[in-house]
Amino acid sequence: MSAAAPSTSGPVIRLRGVTKTYRMGKDNIVQALRGADLDVYPGEFVALMGPSGSGKSTMMNILGCLDVPDSGSYVLAGEQVRQLNDDQLAAIRNRHIGFVFQTFNLLPRLNAIENVELPLVYGGSARGRTQRAKDALAAVGLGERMHHKPTELSGGQQQRVAIARALLNDPSIVLADEPTGNLDSRSSAEILSIFQRLNDLGKTVVMVTHEPDVAEHCKRIVRMRDGVVSGDELVPQPRRAEDELRNAGAGQSVDLHSGTITHVPAAAR
Amino acid sequence: MKIFDSFRSALQSIIVNKLRSALTMLGVIIGVASVIAMVAVGNGASIQVQQQVLSLGSNLVTVTAGNQNSDTGLRGAGVQSMNLTLDDMTAIQAQLGPTIGAVEAEQSAGRWQVTAAGQNWNSNIVGVTTGYPQVRDWGLATGDFFTDDDVRVYAQVAVLGSTTAANLFGDGVDPTGQTIQLRQVFGGGGGAGGAQRARIVNFKVVGMLDAKGTTFGFSRDDQILVPTTTAQRVLTGRTNSVNTIIVKAASSDEMANTTADVTDVLLQRHKISDPASADFTVTNQNDTLAALNQVTGTFTILLAAIGGISLLVGGIGIMNIMLVSVNERTREIGIRKAVGARRRDILTQFLIEAIGLTGIGGILGILLGWGITVVVKQIPAAANIPIAITAGTVAIAVGVSVAIGVVFGLYPAMRAARLHPIQALRYE
Repeated sequence: MSAAAPSTSGPVIRLRGVTKTYRMGKDNIVQALRGADLDVYPGEFVALMGPSGSGKSTMMNILGCLDVPDSGSYVLAGEQVRQLNDDQLAAIRNRHIGFVFQTFNLLPRLNAIENVELPLVYGGSARGRTQRAKDALAAVGLGERMHHKPTELSGGQQQRVAIARALLNDPSIVLADEPTGNLDSRSSAEILSIFQRLNDLGKTVVMVTHEPDVAEHCKRIVRMRDGVVSGDELVPQPRRAEDELRNAGAGQSVDLHSGTITHVPAAAR
Repeated sequence: MKIFDSFRSALQSIIVNKLRSALTMLGVIIGVASVIAMVAVGNGASIQVQQQVLSLGSNLVTVTAGNQNSDTGLRGAGVQSMNLTLDDMTAIQAQLGPTIGAVEAEQSAGRWQVTAAGQNWNSNIVGVTTGYPQVRDWGLATGDFFTDDDVRVYAQVAVLGSTTAANLFGDGVDPTGQTIQLRQVFGGGGGAGGAQRARIVNFKVVGMLDAKGTTFGFSRDDQILVPTTTAQRVLTGRTNSVNTIIVKAASSDEMANTTADVTDVLLQRHKISDPASADFTVTNQNDTLAALNQVTGTFTILLAAIGGISLLVGGIGIMNIMLVSVNERTREIGIRKAVGARRRDILTQFLIEAIGLTGIGGILGILLGWGITVVVKQIPAAANIPIAITAGTVAIAVGVSVAIGVVFGLYPAMRAARLHPIQALRYE
């Protein structure tokens, strides 16, 4: 079923017949997932696409162990998730999952280092925590602004802090929910290039996006409709965000739609 | 989550909302301060009362004439003064001598006009026996106390209180060896031309008592002690009767035994078989102290209760603010949960924040309470009250503040811990 090359180690994510029903108000019952199946193997870079109400947000919540399925099975890194209680789910989120949100979701009162440290506050060892956070920030190119609060950082920089935070506990999988949705094209390209580099290093990434251009940077596109997976295809030649950035050069925006470069006059910036 | 992280996070949150934290703490600060100050003043008053009772002499068993338990009144005031005699005192001394510390008998002779060295003064004359200094723990500043011989022959000798001496002879003048003249006007009343007569008696001053200060507002240094027999025969004409016999027990532990022994001796002497119809009353200083302590204790509890109510109100304020804080930080809770915070972590974080608020409030309250006692000490009327903040009070105040943090912080913290991560993340 999966379009990806089968791996000897088995899928890192295995969803089978997952359903989820929400009760919105008194009589409004929403069947967000109606038996979704999905396998994601280690090292994949998956774009999750679909119109609003297709169930992709619910899918992400379940993949991220923020919610549990009503029925069906979800095996994450060999662990059956459906039977776990709140605290066990929290431990899974801490160890196995790195979240990147559209709205960054950084704690406004903490500086970049403290935000990045957060997963280690709730698990893992306190020893060398700050150093690990600094290293992670340096890896996403924020070595200079480690002591800044989120409000003192641009959107792209905030998202890079969020990525550093997601990576700190060396999770099995990075889940990104429209990570470029609130960013300009250049920052988007930068974030995408970070994800691509991570993927090059073997990290599994699942990313929700509305934009086909963004999805084209992934290796595989999974489409959802009406609570089930409706399409699953490999991207033959994923676009490289790095190349697009290099071609654009400084002071120019990156046209993700065509890959061509548009000069932005200084006054417009 | 490490406890250090919880503390850091709580402290940050308290510091970020400085004004709100300060206002929230105010309730606890005022509560703790009032408990500290009121208990300190209450305890001080209690200690002062105790000191004053003990300044009358310690371990005292007092026998007074008349039965205060009697409802009938048959052995009331009319016969009262005849019930106790010097012989009773002698008998007590003879029969209980080795087991008691000392004994003395007192007969008041009322107020007399006193003149000496051209000075005029009005003072209280009390007839006492030679056990007085020992029973009352009251030494002499100058001279000697009168002797048993003086008592036997009702000698006209006197020991002056320090205030009396100062008023008659001047400050710092030793009155020993001087003569004083006691005079009492009687008959005729105040009417014009009434046939007034005066009795005038001369006394030789043999000593002066140490200064003792006031007890319950009365100066104890303005009195003149004369032998009981002199008071009886020369000054009052009530031969042999005494107002009180005062026994000093060997120790505080012996007071109950001494009370029983004295009662037995007197019942036997007065030929009364039923203790309920005794014609005298024996009171024990321990009982008096216990009764007074009960009064001051009730007083202290009342004051503490007032402080307790303000602490309760402060606690509700804490709860209110913590609920607001949880609500405001719903998104933060969602984020923390998304990166792996367990319920316990969130609970601890908010609980420590509440405890931090009340704990800091408690410490500030202790300082404020201490400040209040310093101010109270400046008030002249309270200058003599030994106001003291004890380590115990401080420990209780801190403990109570922390407990308030736990009690009133628990519900908001539980609400925070139970939030669903998705709903918390979506909260705007």
